Amino acid sequence: MTTDVKYSVFSLEAGRKVMESDSVRPAIGGPPPGIPRAEPSTFTFSKRLETLENKTVYLVDIGFGGGYNFMMRLQKWFSENMPSVTTVIKRKPGRVFADDNHELWDEVKEKGYAVILGVAG
Amino acid sequence: MESVAKSDTRAAPLPFIYTPLPVIGMADDVLDGYINGNDPDTGKSVIGEIIDTLTKPVSSRTGEVGSKPVEVEKAAAPQVLLGPDTEDNLQRLFYEKGWTDGLPVILPTEERVKKMLAGTSHAPDEVVCQAFNMDTGERFQCTVENIAVVAVMAGARPEYFPVILAIAASGHSSLSPSTTAHASMLMVNGPIRNEIGMNSGVGAFSPVSMANAVIGRAWTLLSISWGYAKVRKVLWSSQGNNYTYNNMCIAENEEKSVWEPLHVQKGFKADESVVSFFTGWNVLSSLHCAAHRTIGEEICLQLSVIPALNSAATIMMDPLVARTLKNNEGFTTKQDYSRWISENAMIPAERYWKTDYIDMLVASEAAKGVEPYASWKKLPDNALINHYHNPDNVNIIVVGGESSPLWKTADYRYGSSVSVDKWR
Repeated sequence: MTTDVKYSVFSLEAGRKVMESDSVRPAIGGPPPGIPRAEPSTFTFSKRLETLENKTVYLVDIGFGGGYNFMMRLQKWFSENMPSVTTVIKRKPGRVFADDNHELWDEVKEKGYAVILGVAG
Repeated sequence: MESVAKSDTRAAPLPFIYTPLPVIGMADDVLDGYINGNDPDTGKSVIGEIIDTLTKPVSSRTGEVGSKPVEVEKAAAPQVLLGPDTEDNLQRLFYEKGWTDGLPVILPTEERVKKMLAGTSHAPDEVVCQAFNMDTGERFQCTVENIAVVAVMAGARPEYFPVILAIAASGHSSLSPSTTAHASMLMVNGPIRNEIGMNSGVGAFSPVSMANAVIGRAWTLLSISWGYAKVRKVLWSSQGNNYTYNNMCIAENEEKSVWEPLHVQKGFKADESVVSFFTGWNVLSSLHCAAHRTIGEEICLQLSVIPALNSAATIMMDPLVARTLKNNEGFTTKQDYSRWISENAMIPAERYWKTDYIDMLVASEAAKGVEPYASWKKLPDNALINHYHNPDNVNIIVVGGESSPLWKTADYRYGSSVSVDKWR
């Protein structure tokens, strides 16, 4: 005996209407329900450095657990292996998922040459 | 991991470097090993990749270094019918396609879907919600007929259908892409509870009541249809959460409650039928009754254990508990008890601030000067803080069959309440 299965919303067999006008893909992961998410931003990267020697690199902890300790170990690595590199550890202002501000990034632009941002978890 | 990271349009242009997991809680030598070791995605040296990324020329204005942002997938032309097959083969097909919750489903034949559609006055082609499929990247419209398919699969009777349509219309997913173990809960208020036989009494949370079981399951099947169950693509919860099989679907025991029902608290009329949504991580069931302390104190102690995120809590208490709190302990309304909890549930500052999610999500508020967090941040470690500082976020639900004065506490935050009557 066979059964006719007519519909399913679980697949393209659903007959659902795809809205092609909206192609923005929400991020996978992100904040818990009720915690606001940052809006997408457009940006350009500055030109890469030829060398890190004698440069200041900001190590920015975004706020996930363990990130600050990781940056401290990274700072130690630079001090032992590339002592001419100055590293500055900072925690990203605002929540890990949203509401950033410009203070830290203005400081980085003024005093820094590069940023290592992390650690996601 | 790379494809997942790049799926976020905000992050896609960034160059990513990976270390082994976890980072949190690791000793210094382990973290040193991560830095000196290899990227599990590329097999290359982590520190080497960091230095290369900072010194390698940028290839485009987006700054991408070797990786392209994920492109939104195009929808193929829709088809309507699956071919006829045997029951066994179709059950296997539905499971293998990832369209189920792992349990067998009621196959959505045309006849069954048609019967389900009789449960609402709305036209089959009426759009219920606009959903985003987390798996395929498509944004699409869900019609009444689409939701009827889910309702059939869950095992619903047509009279349950307005509740399921209301759930779909809310746009909430019961599943989360978080690596943590998110859980969800839904609760029904108003006349439809009794019309469709929802259980708000003995065993309301137990697997004994068809309406509770099926309506809660339908929410997860709906979430699955939106792509939330694709393991290691969308679903990353390390342990998962079995509450999501039926999302603790209950009705409030309005008849036995001494207090105002939740939907009235939220601005609906008592004779309106409403479904409300809650989300969080954690539920603690009372191990037994209150013997040497008052019930109010026992619940307060239990709530003191878990650091509150934005003051959110949901207490699900048996009608016997509500009655005792009102008649013996003087809490005339739910709000009275929420206020008392807010003033009396305490946690040492050190324990609060050293909790991972508090540090991650609340410390930034303190740094910005948001009160009371900014003041709490200045307190000595042993100072006690009332972490449920906003009584409006302490929700109380009365549910149970009066066979024992028990309760559950959860960190669940209230999401929203939506009308069921609209979908009759």
